[in-house]
Amino acid sequence: MLVEKFFDHITNWSKFWFGLIFLGSIINELANQSGMFISVSSLYLWTYGLGAMIGLIAKFRGAWL
Amino acid sequence: MALINSKDVSSEFSFEKEKAIAKSFSQRFQWEMILIGIGQAMIWLSLWPLVINGIIPLWAGFCIASLCACFAYLPSHESQHGNYSRGNPKMRWLDSLVGHITLITLMSPYEILRVTHMKHHAYTNDHEKDPDYLSAHSGSLMKTIKRAADGSSVSDYEKSLEVFANDKNFVNSYTKAIPIALLYRLTLLTLVVIFPLETLLLWWLPAKIGTVYTVVFFAYLPHLGTSKGRYQDTRFWSHWMPRYINHSMQLHFIHHLHPGIGHYDEPKAIEALKPFLVERGVPGADQIPDKISYNPLIKIN
Repeated sequence: MLVEKFFDHITNWSKFWFGLIFLGSIINELANQSGMFISVSSLYLWTYGLGAMIGLIAKFRGAWL
Repeated sequence: MALINSKDVSSEFSFEKEKAIAKSFSQRFQWEMILIGIGQAMIWLSLWPLVINGIIPLWAGFCIASLCACFAYLPSHESQHGNYSRGNPKMRWLDSLVGHITLITLMSPYEILRVTHMKHHAYTNDHEKDPDYLSAHSGSLMKTIKRAADGSSVSDYEKSLEVFANDKNFVNSYTKAIPIALLYRLTLLTLVVIFPLETLLLWWLPAKIGTVYTVVFFAYLPHLGTSKGRYQDTRFWSHWMPRYINHSMQLHFIHHLHPGIGHYDEPKAIEALKPFLVERGVPGADQIPDKISYNPLIKIN
């Protein structure tokens, strides 16, 4: 039952999690390497938040592109 | 005029004769494909320590990984048709081994591709039952590229689980592969936290490029403008690209007619079968060159 719920969640929210973890990590790394946001405190909150937002938009749109 | 119905075809071009010729090209051990499949996966895997340790630059790793991804599908495709074991149950492990390993680069579970590909062969160009229908008949090359890039072609396979819900073997094989699909996702999401840009440029983006390449050359171009029916669902076509770059997919129609013919034996098989194909009205068959040697399939418009 729990496993089924887990799989359902993964299926329904896969775009969100992908945005948060995958895109968030990439954006965070690019932001850190660029050095442009050095003065921004808790930069990771913004970068991972942006990734999560892109994922959330893709989830509700039903497609990435 | 090309003849299509079996009853209209003279005994000289009977299906039995066609099958016998095709069978003579379906015996050889496909060692080249095994070498390509395992080889590209090993090269791809070796890129990780090479890039992480700074031995080669990331951009070079990306180029090599993308090339590996473009080579990844075809060896698994031979596996899907059992073309390594050739009906020998003791050798089936080889189909499975090559099929699984070569697809790591594309992040794709072998069993899902295998069972959906079998349905593609059984129901080619059927808008409800062919899992590749929307990739092949999207309406334009750009739409097909977009569908492959944004994962829609994978969603088509998920939908086929509903279409074939009563096919126990299909459902079992498909569901057996779901944990592998999840493992790929989990591995990707773990690696990206530790090595963000390496994961993007050595795996995720090359896999996307390889998927787009595969969908365009395997699903879209060979079936473009074709209809349903054994001799009508795939076509012969020409392209500006040398055939070794697009895996000779101009010749894909022979694979649909006789999937047991090994990929590198297809040119010789087509030369031998050309009169049968013309007689049966395979789309474009009258333009097949008599000799398919180095590269007679280039067409610059």
